[in-house]
Amino acid sequence: MSTMRLRRDPRTERAAHRIDGTARPRFDLAAAAETTGGRLRRNPRAEVERMLVAGTSRRRLDRSQRSVSTPLHIAAPAETAAAPRLIVIEEPAFLVAVVPDAPGGRLTPHDRQMIGAARLLAEKGGAVLALLAEPCEEIGPAGADRVLLVEASTGYDPEGRSASIAMAVDGLGVRHALFPESVDGGDIARRVAADLGEALFAGAESIAANAVTRASRGRRVEQRRAPPRLISLAADAALPYAGAPREARALQDDPMPTVPTRRAILAAEIIPADPARVPLGEAGFVVSAGNGVTDFDGFRAVAAALGATPGASRVVCDAGLMPRAAQVGASGTVLEATCYFALGIAGAPQHLQGIARCEHVVAVNTDLHAAMIERAGLAIVADAQKVMPALLAALECETETTA
Amino acid sequence: MKVTVLLSAGLHPVSGRPCPAAVELQAIRLAHTLGTPELTGLHAGPAADAVRDALGQGLPRLLWLETAVEDDPLAGLVAALATDRPDLILAGRQAQGADDSGLLPYALAKALGLPIIADAVAIEPAGEGAVHVVQALPRGARRRVTVRLPAVVTVHPAAPTALPFAFAAARRGTVERRAGQAALRSGAAIDERPYRKRPKLIAKAAAGASAADRLKAATESAAGGGRLLVDPAPDEAAREIIAHLRELGVLRR
Ligand SMILES: Cc1cc2nc3c(=O)[nH]c(=O)nc-3n(C[C@H](O)[C@H](O)[C@H](O)COP(=O)(O)OP(=O)(O)OC[C@H]3O[C@@H](n4cnc5c(N)ncnc54)[C@H](O)[C@@H]3O)c2cc1C
Ligand SMILES: Nc1ncnc2c1ncn2[C@@H]1O[C@H](COP(=O)(O)O)[C@@H](O)[C@H]1O
Repeated sequence: MSTMRLRRDPRTERAAHRIDGTARPRFDLAAAAETTGGRLRRNPRAEVERMLVAGTSRRRLDRSQRSVSTPLHIAAPAETAAAPRLIVIEEPAFLVAVVPDAPGGRLTPHDRQMIGAARLLAEKGGAVLALLAEPCEEIGPAGADRVLLVEASTGYDPEGRSASIAMAVDGLGVRHALFPESVDGGDIARRVAADLGEALFAGAESIAANAVTRASRGRRVEQRRAPPRLISLAADAALPYAGAPREARALQDDPMPTVPTRRAILAAEIIPADPARVPLGEAGFVVSAGNGVTDFDGFRAVAAALGATPGASRVVCDAGLMPRAAQVGASGTVLEATCYFALGIAGAPQHLQGIARCEHVVAVNTDLHAAMIERAGLAIVADAQKVMPALLAALECETETTA
Repeated sequence: MKVTVLLSAGLHPVSGRPCPAAVELQAIRLAHTLGTPELTGLHAGPAADAVRDALGQGLPRLLWLETAVEDDPLAGLVAALATDRPDLILAGRQAQGADDSGLLPYALAKALGLPIIADAVAIEPAGEGAVHVVQALPRGARRRVTVRLPAVVTVHPAAPTALPFAFAAARRGTVERRAGQAALRSGAAIDERPYRKRPKLIAKAAAGASAADRLKAATESAAGGGRLLVDPAPDEAAREIIAHLRELGVLRR
């Protein structure tokens, strides 16, 4: 304990110097008395020193990490930074299965959080097994040790998929199986629970190796128990795995065979959303107008031609040029879109907060130094009033050639 | 067509008083879009006060299976539905005021050997012995599934809102009371305590960063390293934008 010193206790120190055998108390202060034990004394300076966060220009204290001792703290990241090597688990003590949605073989943020939660459950020698519908390259870096392909039947067949997942979960003796509480993930989770005749801990809101919690009774009661076998995880309830990549070794060479089920679903087709009517927060592709746009009829035509949901900056909404519901930003709607196309928007921090979760940004602006130009993946320094008609013409020309 | 709507004892989201669950009232409305079905409500529980209000919102008849508080409603519901054999069983996506796991319709479908389709926002007849069920997907998309009847369908909150309450209809509606089945709930005892809201975990806000760094992390591009075109001809700019959007896969046409 470098931060603790022994606290001085003047009374015992004095008593140690006392010369015995005299009626009046006499003390020999020159004699070296061995320090007697006392209470421990805090050393606030050393404690603060250990809480200091390195690498920031301003002095910052991290009070949460008090228990981690400094030498260990420095040594561990240096080691992993030097060699971000593949982590291999040869003989797992048990398996924790995850069933990601992975639409089109790409993990969603929710899937990554679920794998992060599975890593917590797989501490102490377990391995994380991903049950995938189609191959996915990102699964190893996302934290899976083993991979098993289950079911590749064509079309929408939740019955067949859940039957093969239930068979895998049962057959492999999986200790925990995690599902995302998303539209399709939650459906599969409940089907698997019904197939196995087990309870599902639905919509877990916190997860750790010793306890999971969820809301019930109309969010008035919190249920808490040791993690059961089947858990579905709510969004943003766990952090994604951030460690070194994992091996993602195939558990078997060939995929799990499909379980023959009586299919009651005769047909299924996806109806894409009508972009003009989708609420802004749900939209996948948003085209937005700022103070640099003056031709709003042209802007609406561009949005319709691109098949995007129209948005706007606050200045435009304040001026009444677009409805308030279209405002993007901190005091408007925070987007979940994959792509954001900004026309004549400067990129104020309040506006950028609204597009923080957009993966891709395209910007058109006359100002080379606008913050939006810096944020964009494709930035075009040009007049929006000239680009918009050109866009319309190009799109029209394309539809003519394909038609 | 014979349609049964499963009604659970709900709690009002604000006041906490017993009331029908909103999504189950929406299920009643969806049943009305199928022409003039023979519509019945089914509830298993110790009291029918909470669900009786559904009689004013489009439900002509309610069958109440009386069970004790600690009983599992599943066994009684399965027995009643196995004798009644409706063509379509509608349920809520998730109850509000009970266990709220959304598991009951799935267990029921399994026990009755019926297919189940989740998250319906619309149901349309599709010829003899089948219906089109329109499912709500994220980002406003829909999936139209054709399913053979009999089937269980759960209803999504994005379905059309419930019919307005009519007092006369509520007086006219009948409640039939039957003895339910006693069946103890299985599973381990679960620790319960008052609900506590938990903060959402955000990965990006790095723990050891300054406020300026955290703002930067929140507003900065994830990909980075963008392309910059200064003063291109409008046609060239348009071509670049379309090519880029196509590459991202957001441009469908
Ligand atoms: C508390 C608070 C909350 C706020 N919340 C929000 C919010 O939620 N959402 C929001 O958007 N704002 C919000 N704001 C306002 C925000 O600070 C900015 O004022 C606003 O976003 C600026 O909008 P703008 O970029 O459209 O306009 P401007 O700042 O005027 O920028 C216009 C841009 O267009 C460019 N331009 C000009 N002419 C052309 C042309 N012909 N072709 C192409 N480009 C051109 C200019 O170079 C400039 O970069 C908030 C402000 C406060 C104080
Ligand atoms: N006691 C019950 N009686 C009738 N239907 C019920 C009962 N409990 C649940 N349900 C139905 O099952 C759905 C999901 O319930 P739960 O699994 O409790 O979330 C509800 O929306 C109801 O339609």
